[in-house]
Amino acid sequence: MLSFDFDYYRPKTLQEAVGLFQNADRNGKKPMYISGATELLTLGRINLAFTEAAIDLKDIVEGNVMQFEQGYLVIGANLTLTKIEEANLFPLLTNTSSNIADHTARGKITLGGNICGQIFYREAVLPFLLADSQVVIVGPEGVTVKPLNEIFNEQLILKKGEFLIQVATDDRYIHAPFISIKRRQQWETGYPLITVAALKIDGEVRTAFSGLCPFPFRSKKMEAALNNHELSVKARIQSALAEVPSPILNDVEGSSEYRLFVLQNLLEDVLGAFD
Amino acid sequence: MNMEVIGKSVIRKEAQEKVTGRALYTHDYHSTRKLSGRVVLSPYAHARITSIDTSNARKVTGVRAILTGENIALTGESMRDRPPLATDKVRYHGEAVVLVVADTPAQGDLAASLINIQYELLPVVHTPTQAFQNNAPLVHERLGEYKKEKDVYPVPGTNIAHHVKIRKGNVEKGLAESSVTVEAEYSFSPSDHAAMETRSSIAEIRPDGTIKIMTSSQAPFMVKQLIASYFNEDLGKIVVDTPLVGGAYGGKAAVQLELLAYLGSKAVGGLPVEIFNEREQDIIMSPCHIGLDAKVKIGADPNGIIKAMKIQFLWDGGAYSDKLIDLTRAGAVDCTGPYKVENVWCDSYGMYTNHTYATPFRGFSHSELSFAIERTVDLLAKKLQIDPLELRYRNAIKPGHTTPTRVLLNQSNVGNLQECIEKLRKLIRWEEGQVKEINERLVRVKGISCSWKTSTIDPNAPSGVILTFNRDGSINLMSGVVEIGTGTKTVLAQILAEKMKMNVEKIHVRMKVDTQTTPEHWKTVASRGIYMAGRALLEAADDVIAQLKNIASIVLRAPTEDLEVANSRVFIKDNPRIGVDFKEICYGYQYPNGNSIGGQIIGRGNFILRHLTYLDPETGEGNPGPEWTVAAYGVEVEFDRRDLTYRLIRAASVIDIGIVLNEKAALGQVMGAMSMGLSFAGRETFYYDELGQVLNPQLRTYRPLRYGENPEYLVDFVYTPDLQAAYGARGVGEHGLLGMPGALGNALSLAANVSLHHLPLTPELIWKTKAGKV
Repeated sequence: MLSFDFDYYRPKTLQEAVGLFQNADRNGKKPMYISGATELLTLGRINLAFTEAAIDLKDIVEGNVMQFEQGYLVIGANLTLTKIEEANLFPLLTNTSSNIADHTARGKITLGGNICGQIFYREAVLPFLLADSQVVIVGPEGVTVKPLNEIFNEQLILKKGEFLIQVATDDRYIHAPFISIKRRQQWETGYPLITVAALKIDGEVRTAFSGLCPFPFRSKKMEAALNNHELSVKARIQSALAEVPSPILNDVEGSSEYRLFVLQNLLEDVLGAFD
Repeated sequence: MNMEVIGKSVIRKEAQEKVTGRALYTHDYHSTRKLSGRVVLSPYAHARITSIDTSNARKVTGVRAILTGENIALTGESMRDRPPLATDKVRYHGEAVVLVVADTPAQGDLAASLINIQYELLPVVHTPTQAFQNNAPLVHERLGEYKKEKDVYPVPGTNIAHHVKIRKGNVEKGLAESSVTVEAEYSFSPSDHAAMETRSSIAEIRPDGTIKIMTSSQAPFMVKQLIASYFNEDLGKIVVDTPLVGGAYGGKAAVQLELLAYLGSKAVGGLPVEIFNEREQDIIMSPCHIGLDAKVKIGADPNGIIKAMKIQFLWDGGAYSDKLIDLTRAGAVDCTGPYKVENVWCDSYGMYTNHTYATPFRGFSHSELSFAIERTVDLLAKKLQIDPLELRYRNAIKPGHTTPTRVLLNQSNVGNLQECIEKLRKLIRWEEGQVKEINERLVRVKGISCSWKTSTIDPNAPSGVILTFNRDGSINLMSGVVEIGTGTKTVLAQILAEKMKMNVEKIHVRMKVDTQTTPEHWKTVASRGIYMAGRALLEAADDVIAQLKNIASIVLRAPTEDLEVANSRVFIKDNPRIGVDFKEICYGYQYPNGNSIGGQIIGRGNFILRHLTYLDPETGEGNPGPEWTVAAYGVEVEFDRRDLTYRLIRAASVIDIGIVLNEKAALGQVMGAMSMGLSFAGRETFYYDELGQVLNPQLRTYRPLRYGENPEYLVDFVYTPDLQAAYGARGVGEHGLLGMPGALGNALSLAANVSLHHLPLTPELIWKTKAGKV
């Protein structure tokens, strides 16, 4: 149960959504864009999320597309992880996102919600970081398209009133060889201890991580180390380990020391997969 | 015995309600006038309360009352050490400090958020081992002043709430005579029960003084007794209703929310007040699954025959002693595991710490102690180079042996462990070897364990049954056993159907318990539902049969000795065509001219356990329980030697059940218990920070075993009847769980080639142990 009341809006167009947000913001209602609303509901009940105006983006058609256009796969941010999984147009995304939360929750969690949410794992972003995807952002200044890697720093950097509506990915990356592994504290349930997504393009391995640090990331330095063919596989992994950003998570899922042990083995598996 | 109904997989009487979602649990009962009691919890594990300011909270619309702990009687089942709302200081993270009663939960929450409590932090007691040190901070400074029952032995000036001593034989002599000894220490933190239904209670004090309580409890009769005793209420004026309970596992044996609901109602002129636990509150405020620090030393001869065991248990009872007293004793009486040991020295200490206080967890101290004992038995086998299954077989407890509390075992009061071991050997294909290489990284490994358990319940614990008839000759069965999901009430119907030789469909079971009209069943705990209520039921059935025969003998003009009861009829044995249907006599028999004889038939039966005693405080000698169920277990894992991760492949239990009363129900109980045991062993624990705060009080981070993570479950039974029990049945609700932590620990220790001494058995624990970081 949520202990606070909020106004609920369900705009049909991008402009309407932005207008509602701005209006609510002027009235001090701390507006929030929602779609699946899983975070508002689950974090709201323990007072970690709050709004007096929820703007539900579900009905906006641009957010519900999933199609190839001019060599790009365009995926709407309102699509649930289950829908994306069932369509399976981007196998690396399917592999990564189908391990998020649980089956019931994935029927509600949307792509945009997972990428922009408070819960810092945001695993659905990993494939797009690897694929140099473009993100379509809507806000008071209209619709803009930006390279994800430029505006993603631990999280998607959005200005007040902006929201993510689509992600576009070059077809080349969709068909690139990939691997995605989620390692948990124990068995098949729970947050990632470490999730790694990797693909190989133009002879280079790219890697992105969630759960290793309190934010998802792709590190060019780690990639450079992993692609340094002058070194042995072992040495490449060791030099990549030295480039892990800080801080390394140290929490109930696992200690930072243990995460490094797990990471080392994961990198071995990643490099092994592309041999 | 050729039986018609017993042993059959009769579908649960409450199954349709449950599968259609129509079954109602406590929180589902709505009344428009139901007020909401919201609890302010302590954010700290140990702190002095310096001030509580409720002035802003009182201004919130809908707030009816705000209660703090002063002037409320101390509570506690065996020792009165617990204020229902903390006074002076808080002793665990999650402890109830203030109760707000408001018209709606939202108003209550808003008011609760406006209450300003100032704390002054105190040093935290994190583990029972720390609690046991001489210089440890005291959780209870006034331990010597608490009112207690006579067989409770706290040590004032320390954190020892209770101490049970087992002194059997001469342990030093036994160890001296041993050619080999092994010794090890074990520990694990408290955890949760994670029942699907979180706890809730509703209390109301009617204008006539009747105290009505509806609660999700395993012990409605105890609720009644304790409220009367704590608050000087008239016992007969307290009526407790318990509808279906959505999982309990021991967690609902303690009385907690009922007290808050009662106090809340009293503060608002008797209006109904509900205390409903959200999941987080259920996890940290309500009593949890006990933790343990143990030391075990075993001495044996060259053939592995155990000569002596020296054991120390430091139970992590948390902040209050409530059920800790019983748990400390239960762990002591079966401390050796199911083995013949002539020389036993055990100190079982119930320790106070700054954790959520403990309550039973399915198995009542036995899965916990078994982990320590069974890991040590494997260490012994390894040291002696004896097959661990063979070692257990050689030492298996048998009739003629005595238990740690010196109960002489016979053919009836203990099951056949050696037969369990033999069946397990086949079930898990032991002859194929304990270790099977799959490839360079993967290896499949089997671990085994054994267990025993008696139920250390109150020596005078009662169980009663009433049977009434409907005019169509069908029977209503009323027992105080709570339907906590085990199907017990359906099995009672089967026992009655068997005894009366009638169709089980014609037996109607009352699911709800109402302490005013349902005969008392002590508590629905300890796998004692069928054991005790079954006997009471047989007595009630005999009573009904005698009454039916009496009236039928007049109607049929035949002596009662010549009559037989079957198929809802009383008839003449040698001429079954001459008879009378139940429906013609169960409400009196009417002659054609209108004359009537007899009347409504009401059957009654009761049962009380015989010959149970308190334990001798110096030696532990005494008879703690009626019978020992024994079992043998195996767990097979596929272990990755690089990643130190594993999958559960197979888990097996062989339990001496006496007789199977309902096959699917029994299998369901055993598999469900195994699942819980593996979950406890492999993943479930509370993580605490340096302030003693629970870091994972949500199902996001506290994760019981999910479907799909489970192994294949293998179950087999041995049938040694318990002559005291209905149809010979032994308790089976808990036993599938008991050996899982030990067997999994043994499998993984072998697989990882490192001795594992802690729970949960996560890959990180294995990694840390291998790296010498534990």
